[in-house]
Amino acid sequence: MKAPKLGLAAAVAATLILSACASGTESDDDGGSSDGAEMKLCMYTHGDGGGFWSVVKKGAEKAADDLGVELDYQESNNDAEAQAQLIEAGVSAGCDGIAVSAPNPDAIQGAMDAAADAGIPLVTLNSGASVFADLHAFTHVGQDEFIAGQEAGKRFKELGATKVLCAIQEANNIGLQQRCDGAKDTFGNVENLQLSSGLTDLTKSEAEIQAKLESDGDIDAVFSLNADIATGSALPAVEAVGRDLTVGTVDLSGDAIQAIKDGTMAFAVDQQQYAQGYLPVVLLYLNKTNGHVLGGGQPMYTGPGFVTSENADLVQKLAEEGTR
Amino acid sequence: MSVTTPAPTDERIATTSGLTRLLRRPELGALMGAVVVYAMFSVADTTGKFATIVGTARWTDSASTVGIVAVPVALLMIAGEFDLSSGVMVGTSGLFCGLLTTEYGVPMWPAILLTFAFAACIGLVNGWLVMLTGLPSFIVTLAMFFSLRGINLGVTKTLTDTVRVAGVDKVDGFDSAAKVFGSTFWHPYDYRIAVVWWIAVTLLATTILTKTRFGNWIYAVGGDKLAARNTGVPVWRTKITLFVATSMAAALVGIIDLTRLRSMQAGQGIGDEFTFIIAAVVGGCLLTGGFGSAIGASIGASIIGMAFIGIAYAGWNTDWTWLFLGVILFAAVLVNTFISKRAAGARR
Amino acid sequence: MTAIEPVPELTPPAESDSQPAALQLKSVAKSFGSVIALHDITLRVDAGMVTCVLGDNGAGKSTLIKILSGVHRPTEGELLVHGEPTRFSSPREAQNAGIATVFQDLATVPLMSVWRNFFLGNEPLRGVGPVKFLDAKKAKRICREELLAMGIDIRDAEQPAGTLSGGERQAVAIARAVHFGAKVLILDEPTSALGVKQSGVVLKYVLQARDRGVAVVFITHNPHHAHLVGDRFYLLNRGQMTHEFERRTVTREELVRAMAGGAELEALAHELEDTGLRP
Repeated sequence: MKAPKLGLAAAVAATLILSACASGTESDDDGGSSDGAEMKLCMYTHGDGGGFWSVVKKGAEKAADDLGVELDYQESNNDAEAQAQLIEAGVSAGCDGIAVSAPNPDAIQGAMDAAADAGIPLVTLNSGASVFADLHAFTHVGQDEFIAGQEAGKRFKELGATKVLCAIQEANNIGLQQRCDGAKDTFGNVENLQLSSGLTDLTKSEAEIQAKLESDGDIDAVFSLNADIATGSALPAVEAVGRDLTVGTVDLSGDAIQAIKDGTMAFAVDQQQYAQGYLPVVLLYLNKTNGHVLGGGQPMYTGPGFVTSENADLVQKLAEEGTR
Repeated sequence: MSVTTPAPTDERIATTSGLTRLLRRPELGALMGAVVVYAMFSVADTTGKFATIVGTARWTDSASTVGIVAVPVALLMIAGEFDLSSGVMVGTSGLFCGLLTTEYGVPMWPAILLTFAFAACIGLVNGWLVMLTGLPSFIVTLAMFFSLRGINLGVTKTLTDTVRVAGVDKVDGFDSAAKVFGSTFWHPYDYRIAVVWWIAVTLLATTILTKTRFGNWIYAVGGDKLAARNTGVPVWRTKITLFVATSMAAALVGIIDLTRLRSMQAGQGIGDEFTFIIAAVVGGCLLTGGFGSAIGASIGASIIGMAFIGIAYAGWNTDWTWLFLGVILFAAVLVNTFISKRAAGARR
Repeated sequence: MTAIEPVPELTPPAESDSQPAALQLKSVAKSFGSVIALHDITLRVDAGMVTCVLGDNGAGKSTLIKILSGVHRPTEGELLVHGEPTRFSSPREAQNAGIATVFQDLATVPLMSVWRNFFLGNEPLRGVGPVKFLDAKKAKRICREELLAMGIDIRDAEQPAGTLSGGERQAVAIARAVHFGAKVLILDEPTSALGVKQSGVVLKYVLQARDRGVAVVFITHNPHHAHLVGDRFYLLNRGQMTHEFERRTVTREELVRAMAGGAELEALAHELEDTGLRP
C-alpha cells in the first residue's frame, strides 16, 4: 500500500524534472540564454488568447523568426497585476526590449519605470496611444479610434448613406465612443445607440437594434463596433426589418468576412493587429542594433485598413491561416 | 501504581516521536513538493535567473498576494468552512478604498482604516449567515461572491462611468501608504514589501493555530463540530472570527494592489478564491476540515508563485499555469492522503 | 420464581436522606410538540455510586440524557443539583455545575492529539496580559498522569485520538471528566459499540471513577453490563420509569427479564407453540 504510492510520487517527480531538462536543452539549442549572442525581445499584453490576440502573437512570432531574435510573449488575460508582475519578471530576466499593451496605464507604471531605469527600450501597442510617453515608450503601434471612425464615416458617405446608427456594445469604453465621434466628425448625421447587454446577450442586442431601426425610418446605415455584434446582432436585425441598409463594422471575424463576400455587409475596419505584433519587434530590434528611435514621438498607425468585397477573398484565406 | 513500569516505554516514545512526529506534520508533503517544483523550474529556466536572488524576488512577489489570503483561508478550512468570496473581496476592498479617496476625497489612511472595517463587516455577514442558516459555507459565500461581483461593477460604473478606479496616486496620503503597502526594498533585487506582510501573517497565524487556546478550538470545530460544542468550545465565535480574518486579509491584499497599481479594476481578484484553496490544500489542509497548517498554506502559495514566474522563465506560455495548478493540486491530495494514512497508522 | 409474575418494585429512597443527591429528577416530563418523550420521571443519583438507566432503543434515554446534561429543559417537573432546584440554559452551564457528559460520539476529535482532546475547552494557559499561550508541556504531562491514574498508559500524548481503540477513547473522555472535577459523570451507551474485551476495560474505568467519589450515571441497553457495575437501576420504557431496583435486591436474570419485557416474551413463546411453528 505504501510503496506503490511513494513510487508513484517519485515517478511523477522524475518525469517532471526530466521533461524540464528536455525543454531546457531545446531552447539552449535555439540560441542560448540572454547572456548569449541572441537578442531577447519581450511582449507582454493584456490579451486573452482569443481570435484577436492570437493574430497579434503570430505577428510577433513571425517578426522574431524573420529577424533571428528570441521572443518571450505572455498574456495576462486582463489581469492588471499579473501584467505588472510579468513585466517586472521580464526586466529581471534580461529582456533586451519590451513591448506592452496599456489599457490600464496606472497599473503598469511602476513596472515600466523599473524597465526604463534598467535602460530597456520600450514600445506600447494596441492600447495606450495617449500615454505611451508617460510609460517611457518611444512610440505606440496601433489604431487611433477617432481616426478609424472618421474613415468609416467617409466610407458611409461614399456608399450614399444619409443617417448612420452607431451601436455601442460597452457603455463605458472610451475607445468605442471615440469611433462613433470620429464617424460623426466626417459623416455628420450619426446617432448613437447604447446596447444594454452588448456582447453578453447578442439576441437582446439584436432586439434593441431592430427596435431602433423600426422606430426611425430615416436610418439607412448601421455602424457596428465589433465583429460579433455585426454578425450576431446587427445583420439579423437588418434582415428582420426588411429595409435596405448599409452595414459596416470594426474588426474581423470569419463570419464577418463571409458576410462581406456575400454582400450583406459593406466593409469592415481592420486594425491589422498582425502588424501590432510584428512592428514592435522590428522597432525594438532596430533600436538595439542601430540605435534608431522611430516614430518621431508620435504613434504609428496600423489602421484603419478596410476589408471590402474587393479584397475579402484574400483576407479570408489569410484569416484561415491565422494571420489576419 | 508503580513508577518503574513506564520506564521501558519511555525509550519507545523517543524513537517514535522522532520520525513519526515529522511525518505527521501536514507541511511535509508541501515542502517536498516545493523542493521538486523549485528544482524543476531551475532546470527548465532559459533565463538563468530563476534560482537567483532576483528571481526569488519575482516569485515571492507573485506568491505573497496569494499567501496573505491563503493563510486565513487555510485556518477557515481547518475549522471546516470555505470562503468563496475571498477572491472578489480583494477587488471590492481595493475599489472601496479607491472610490472613497478619488470620488469622496477621503484621505488615504482613513480610507484604509474604513476599508478594513468594511471588510470585517462583510466577514461578519458571511459568518453569521453560515451559522444562522446552517447552510454549507460553500453556498453562502458563493452567494456573497456573486453579490460582490455585481456590486463591484455596478457601483464603479455608476460613480466613475468606467470599470475601474484610477488616479489614486494623486490622493492625499498616498505616498506614505504606498511605502507601507506597495513599495520595494533591497535594490536592485526589488523585493516587494508585500512579502514582509505575508511572512508576518504566516507567523501570526501559525502561532495562533498551534500555541493558543483559540487554535485548539479551530482544530476541534473542524474535526468534530458536535464534540467541540459538547465540550463547551464556542463554535459560533470561532468560525465567525475566522470569516472576519479572511475578509480582512483580502482587504490587505486589495490595498497592497491598490497602492502598487495606483488603480483597481472592477474585476480584480475574481478567480483567486480557488487559488487560495489550492494553496491551502497543497499545504496539507483536508477539505473535510480538522487538519492542516498555516505554514503549509504559505508553502502552497510559494509553489504557485514559483509556477507563475517559472513557467514564464521557461519560455512557456503562462496559460499553462492553470494546467500546472491542476496537476499539483491532484498530486498534493495524493501525497497528503498517503502521509496522513501513514501517520495515523503509525501506532499499529 | 415464576416467569409471569411482575418483578417486585421498591419504593424510592426517602427524601430525608442524610445527604442530598448529587443529581435528582422529580416528576420530569418532556414533550416535543405533540410527542411526549418522557413522562413522570423521578430518579436520584448519589456520589460514589453507579446509577444505571436501562432501556431499549426508543425508550427515551437520549432525551433523558439531554435533560441531565443541560441540552434540553424539562417541560414539567424539577431538576435538582445537590438539593437545589436548577434550570440549565446551556450544556456549558451544566458543565460548570459539575455535570460532565460523555456522549456516544465520545466527544473526542479524532484528528487532534490526545492531550489537545483532553484539555479541549479547558486549555491550561501561560503568559502575560492578553497574550496567552497554551501550556503544552504542562498539558501533556497532566494528560499522561491522569490517564495513568485511570490505568491507561498511552505511549505518546501527541498521537491523534483517532489512533486509540474505542475503549481507550472512552477512557480518555472519562479521565477528562474526572480530572476537571466532574461531580456527576453521565455516560451515554459507553459499551454499545465495543466488543467484549473493550467493554470490560471501559467498565473498569467506570468503577475507578466511582471510587474517586464521582456520581456515575450509566445509560445502556445492555443489562449484563449494567448489572456488573450498577448500584441502582432504573428501567425506562416508552418514556416512563417502569422499574427501580437496588443492587442487592435484584439478580442479573431478573434485570434481563424486566428489560426484555419478560412477560411479553413468554406470551409470544406460548403463541408460537400453539400455532405449531415451534415444536
